[in-house]
Amino acid sequence: METRRHKHNRWMFVLTAGLCLALPHYVSAQNPQTQNLQILDNHAGFTPTISGGAAYIHNVNGGITTLIPQINPVLLVPFGRHVLLESRTDFTGFFQRENQTTGPFKGKVFKTVEFAQVDWLANTHVIVTAGKYLLPFGLYNERLLPVWIRNLQDTPITSTIGTRNSGAGDGFMLRGAAIQRPAYSIQYSTYFSARSNINQLQAARTAGVDTSIYLTGLRLETGFSYQRFLQQRNINSVATYISWQPRTLPLDLKAEGDYSYNGKGYWIETAYRLEQLPIPPVFRKTQIVTRMQQFFPSNGGGNSLPSVDTHRVDFGLNYYFRDDIRFVSSYGRSFSSRGNNNVWNVGATYRFMFPLWPGRTR
Amino acid sequence: MKRKLLAALGICLLTITIQGAILAQDSNNAKRKPDVVQNKAKPRTGEQVFNDNCYRCHTPPMSIPPRITGTIVMHMRTRARLSRADEELLLKYLAP
Repeated sequence: METRRHKHNRWMFVLTAGLCLALPHYVSAQNPQTQNLQILDNHAGFTPTISGGAAYIHNVNGGITTLIPQINPVLLVPFGRHVLLESRTDFTGFFQRENQTTGPFKGKVFKTVEFAQVDWLANTHVIVTAGKYLLPFGLYNERLLPVWIRNLQDTPITSTIGTRNSGAGDGFMLRGAAIQRPAYSIQYSTYFSARSNINQLQAARTAGVDTSIYLTGLRLETGFSYQRFLQQRNINSVATYISWQPRTLPLDLKAEGDYSYNGKGYWIETAYRLEQLPIPPVFRKTQIVTRMQQFFPSNGGGNSLPSVDTHRVDFGLNYYFRDDIRFVSSYGRSFSSRGNNNVWNVGATYRFMFPLWPGRTR
Repeated sequence: MKRKLLAALGICLLTITIQGAILAQDSNNAKRKPDVVQNKAKPRTGEQVFNDNCYRCHTPPMSIPPRITGTIVMHMRTRARLSRADEELLLKYLAP
């Protein structure tokens, strides 16, 4: 029985690998537009790069102060125009007072390899990714997690749904634009992750898919994620999301609903920059953020989710000194039967990118 | 049973909304036929691709060192699942 299963697994692996190799060529052959695309003559350089974000956050949660310095460098090494090695490592310190409210600050710096992957950019429709990659589930994990991107420093309650155990998967992923038209594009990601307990490569056995449609004219994106957790208790997780940046307003609206065995919830976030208001220019770089979220546990909650109904509202005020440096602040209040508490965040974020060494320009 | 019905109803509504939005956009384009002809004459620019896609997640950078433009665009193409044509337009726009 076991031998037959092994044989079956081996055949499945061969079939998947063959499909991964053959699909890009097939799709490329089907699309003469991409085949005839010529490399434009420009001066873009393809030098290995370090980019990423750094932040210092002063957090007060229920009266307990935590100092959180962090840096997340991203290493990007291109090999020609079609292969990219990319990796992000997170260094985050958590420092709290020895007796929580009194005494000197003590803590530890945690180091995590968030992803380390090789991408083969085969064509418009297929990008093959292998290694440790961020799980494409909902809006948050893959897109909004970096400290310099997120409008509020605290992640939504439901951000752990569909990202067990480490937010990353070890294995293969196929992604790309399934359909690209001037008015809209349909994008997809599909992956299989193997279980791993190797240090810095921890991942769960999962499989899933994420797909979204982006309407170019409206600047509206709506999508759907599904994941099957394939170890211990096999569970399904589902997310639907929407993201809208209207052309006429400096507004960013994002919302997501998540459902899993451990509970369901949603969050709605709006971020408005005062660029268009008739106020002194120095104040126009301010951004006002609000987020509302609710979570309702099922089967006792757990897996980093609350075990009681939880509601939370957040208000944020960010100020962009430049496009890469900003002051961030937020106030949140969490309501649950375990007690209500206030969460304050004040700090600064910085985004950087620079070449690793002088390179050729094309 | 009720939850399944609600979920199915939600998916149906989402699908109808998406299809409605696409149809509305298509019908708007059809109504403005001269514009469509003009749009066809004016191909999509790198600036449009930049403005449409970067804002979906973050504040776009005001400048990128030319030596690393290609690398950054490759990274963003992977992350944002951009097409090859969009990548080329972005490169032309960011590092002309």
